[in-house]
Amino acid sequence: MSRVEIEKKIQSENDRVAEANRKVFTDAGVFVLNIISSPGSGKTTLLEATLDRLADKMNIVVIEGDISTERDMDRVRARGASGVQINTGGGCHLSSGMVAGVLDDLDLDSAEIVFIENVGNLVCPSTYDLGEDVRMVLLSTTEGDDKPMKYPAIFHEASLAILNKIDLLPHLTYDVEKVEREIRVLNPDSEILRLSATTGEGMDAWIEWIMAKLREKKSTLT
Amino acid sequence: MHELSICQSMLKIVDSTMEQHEGANLRKIFLDIGRGSTIEPILLSEAFAVLTSDGPYAGTELVVNDIPISGRCRECERDFTYEELSVGCPNCGSTNIKITAGLELDIKALEIDD
Repeated sequence: MSRVEIEKKIQSENDRVAEANRKVFTDAGVFVLNIISSPGSGKTTLLEATLDRLADKMNIVVIEGDISTERDMDRVRARGASGVQINTGGGCHLSSGMVAGVLDDLDLDSAEIVFIENVGNLVCPSTYDLGEDVRMVLLSTTEGDDKPMKYPAIFHEASLAILNKIDLLPHLTYDVEKVEREIRVLNPDSEILRLSATTGEGMDAWIEWIMAKLREKKSTLT
Repeated sequence: MHELSICQSMLKIVDSTMEQHEGANLRKIFLDIGRGSTIEPILLSEAFAVLTSDGPYAGTELVVNDIPISGRCRECERDFTYEELSVGCPNCGSTNIKITAGLELDIKALEIDD
């Protein structure tokens, strides 16, 4: 009987492929955002509203992750994005290998921004680096104000948290300050934006945030 | 719910290690799994049993070192566990906290019969 030491992250292979993806994105000069949330919190609606404000100014690529259907890809294409739909066939998250498999199908050279809309799930995607610049979590008011401490990993990992559907606050028992405080406990460096993708409230700050990050990325390339 | 996928990644690391020990039998796999890693050890063991049931690793034991989430307050430097964390640092109330353990998802070692 003998012991063989390994001392390796189980995700080391996913992380290696994610780094290779990151190099492809960086060589193309695009800013990449990995958007994570539970189903129905408004990821695709936020992308539609974002495309309405940006798609006539720059080329935007979207990678859509869903278990099945092309519905989300159809929605963002209608608003001016190019990109691909990945169907995971039951898989609860995107992995760096799935993203690597579609890179050749993306027009990265003419694009400025890549949005990766992950499979709707607040748990599993937090374990998979895809090669993004920023990991972002979206939480809608209708999901309840107890979520950050119940799903600590994603709020710890994400450097931007968006609180969506704030137009519904008058109809809900939802303590925004409590949510923001819990997010800050899990990640003191997290940025937090409140918005409604439906009414447009808070969208200006979100677009400014994207443009600042894009300029930041470009400045590291020159 | 991604334990199956994590198990497959783990098995690739086990395979490449076992290739260097030809003829040896795998007995145990030692893992560090943090409670904030989003991996449930029971589901991982079930996935492992399903994936290895008719191969050379059938019957191998997963030995999980279960690591609680803990943090340190950056203001008053107090260390504490996640259970005490919900309203900020249990000592001074600050939200300026660094998570210091509990996010591990590591394969530490194998035990083999040479």
